[in-house]
Amino acid sequence: MSTITDSMNTISSLEEMAEGNTIIHRLHPMVKLITTMLYLVLVISFNPYNITGLMVFAFYPVILMALAEIPYKPLLKRLLIALPFSFFAGISNIIFNQQLALMIGPMPISYGLLSFISIMVKTIFTVMAVMILIATTSLPKISYQLLSIKVPKIIVEQIMLTYRYISVLLEQVSNMYTAYILRAPAAKGIKMKDMGVFVGQLLLKSFDRAESIYVAMKCRGYDGNYLYAKPSPIQKGDWLFLVLASGVLCLMRFFDLSLFIGSFL
Amino acid sequence: MHMADALVSPAVGGIMLAASAGAIAYSAYKCKDDLDEKKIPLMGVMGAVIFAGQMINFTIPGTGSSGHIGGGILLAALLGPFPAFLTLTAVLLIQALFFADGGLLALGANIWNLGFYACLLVYPFVFKPIVKKGLTPTRISVASVVSVILALTLGAASVVIQTLASGITELPMATFMGMMIPIHLAIGLVEGIVTGGILVFIYKMRPELLESSMDNKKLPKNLSIRKVLGFLLVFAIVIGGGLSLLASSNPDGLEWSMENVAGTAELEASGNAYDSAAGIQESTAFLPDYGFKSTDGEGSAAGTSVSGIIGAGITLILAGGTGYLIYAVKRRKEKTV
Amino acid sequence: MLKIDKLNYAYPDGHQAIRDINLTIEEGESIALVGANGAGKSSLFKLIVGVSEIKEGSIMVDELAVEKKTLKDIRRRVGMVFQNPDDQLFMTKVYDDIAFGPRNELLDEHVVEERVVNAMEQLGIIHLRDRMPHRLSGGEKRVIAIASVLAMDPRVILFDEPTSFLDPQARRNVINTLDSLKMTKIIATHDLDMALDICDRVIILHHGSVFADGSVKDILLDEALLSQCHLELPLCMQKPRIR
Repeated sequence: MSTITDSMNTISSLEEMAEGNTIIHRLHPMVKLITTMLYLVLVISFNPYNITGLMVFAFYPVILMALAEIPYKPLLKRLLIALPFSFFAGISNIIFNQQLALMIGPMPISYGLLSFISIMVKTIFTVMAVMILIATTSLPKISYQLLSIKVPKIIVEQIMLTYRYISVLLEQVSNMYTAYILRAPAAKGIKMKDMGVFVGQLLLKSFDRAESIYVAMKCRGYDGNYLYAKPSPIQKGDWLFLVLASGVLCLMRFFDLSLFIGSFL
Repeated sequence: MHMADALVSPAVGGIMLAASAGAIAYSAYKCKDDLDEKKIPLMGVMGAVIFAGQMINFTIPGTGSSGHIGGGILLAALLGPFPAFLTLTAVLLIQALFFADGGLLALGANIWNLGFYACLLVYPFVFKPIVKKGLTPTRISVASVVSVILALTLGAASVVIQTLASGITELPMATFMGMMIPIHLAIGLVEGIVTGGILVFIYKMRPELLESSMDNKKLPKNLSIRKVLGFLLVFAIVIGGGLSLLASSNPDGLEWSMENVAGTAELEASGNAYDSAAGIQESTAFLPDYGFKSTDGEGSAAGTSVSGIIGAGITLILAGGTGYLIYAVKRRKEKTV
Repeated sequence: MLKIDKLNYAYPDGHQAIRDINLTIEEGESIALVGANGAGKSSLFKLIVGVSEIKEGSIMVDELAVEKKTLKDIRRRVGMVFQNPDDQLFMTKVYDDIAFGPRNELLDEHVVEERVVNAMEQLGIIHLRDRMPHRLSGGEKRVIAIASVLAMDPRVILFDEPTSFLDPQARRNVINTLDSLKMTKIIATHDLDMALDICDRVIILHHGSVFADGSVKDILLDEALLSQCHLELPLCMQKPRIR
């Protein structure tokens, strides 16, 4: 089924990217996590009609992608999937707020249109920032860091375990689905009345699998506690990047480069 | 129904992150007390099952459209409320990172909308009382349908409130609610029937799986229907009260406009990045302030704005150029090495 | 070093899985445990590692009886490699998975590392150290599962169908790996050719009891005996049938 194959491909392509070894990949995961969060907060803190100030934030994803050697295409594809949601949330603004904001030559620009553009730009920026984070830092590395900001251990364990078994389950579902469709060639999906049995079977198998995993853990001395190595400490270079990056980001928030350039026109 | 980062304001995102963090901390604490260590791997595998299960499209008879399962109520019935909530949190985080389904700032809102209501509110206070007298296929089905509808509707209403409070969309509240609620009632019905079907199947094959999470003893003991109703009433009052508070600041009564909602949002956001930026922004942004519909000085603002927008275009080109330059330099380095 | 005495076991549903098994296994033996599906191989393994509780009879590992209070020590001495490596490898990084056992022994992190690296080097998989298990091939996962048990430094390893679902080359690789391990091995398998290659003793289970126990030559070449318990000669011993 296409969604399953799609998501398997997405996960594995992002994982392959995260195996890279550029300056961005080598940064401490905590530093990347903080920088990403700061970027997100700053981007969405712009008021909905200020799109000139927002534009300078394009530098962040572009520079990071170039430094990390992340290919554009897969990220753009992900972006296209994320955009429609924001599109529908934003399109109403054009309808409901037609008040004139400014004229570009003969073309009237309404506040609604401005806020629509702002939503779309914010979507692009925020999605890219998160994508860049996961394309340069593997999920296990990110979740290790969660331990050091006092996220309960059980959540981190769950993230790791779920992540570990996603590909196993996706493959299982995909096989079951194929077996179903081959015997019901006319169906466009699982029939609703068969869902109980279909997912039910999946769950039963998974209960058994969980049981085996538990036994495997027990055989290796598990006593209810998952033990991890301590995450590596933040290096001097990482601190430097953190200070520089957050400084520049804050500067970008309060200095409208677009207007500055515009003022020379 | 995932909220995206771009659809929340820092204040709303932050509040929801804090609320969800609280719920997570409480659940983790609860699990520490009385979680069978056997459940740790089970939760992980179930998380992966929900992740994969959400990708199964099923056809809805008579409509030609397709649906997929949500999973909150299902997980809660299989694992118990607190483990289910934690499991769903892990799933949502992974989805946010890999699929741009929601984002990191909106994660709190998504955990709340999709996890909190289903696992920690509806399951213990609606699902369990219905099946309290003993599991039967009928009770399981009824409980599933009612619970899923309720959980989804609560989630949908929260999406509306969070989006409006963030000052993102200019849709009037009534219209927005009118669009979201009926759709989610319908989705909830379909999803509830499917969830019921799955649970009934499990009940028939391996009843002990459902029952073990049922008597997870950590339930309020003498839970009566009256208490449940009372709880729902309080909840309705809180939500309704919050809404009318927003409404009362609106001179046009039900005619909700962004002006008011945004005004409230701004109040909430005072003292944070949103506001502290305002001073600097006023001098630079082409809008005089947050007053969205202010018409004063618009003509003069327009002059700056056109150049501002051209400036924005140039900024974008510059950014793109920088990226290209880095690529070019890197490639050349590789060639010479 | 492993002594099983008058062992009986029935599942809660009443199915009698093990019937009166008596076995003595010496240090360093390489044993193939064969038998049709449902003959009791897995049940026996579960009893030896203490996952199922012994109700009747006893199992001794050296001087230690398998019971609730000795489980920790038993599991340090007896390792088990699962048939499906996806069940066994539940961490997100190969290194962490192999380190899971040693860490649970609360060893110092550098001792853990030494154990993990040793196990990986011994099996030639050090290059997989930072990979994620779900991105590896079935054969690689199988070897990592073995390493994860090896890192616990056990005296006996139980293998459950180590060569199933593998392509011929990966199978050969796993067989060579098994052969290189010098500790006591008990290998539950349908792969009689492998048994012929690397085992020196064969035990046939049939309906939960020991049907035959002897040298590889005595048992695996006895066609009549094998067919009595739903088995057949190793493929390499069968007459080729070419159409």
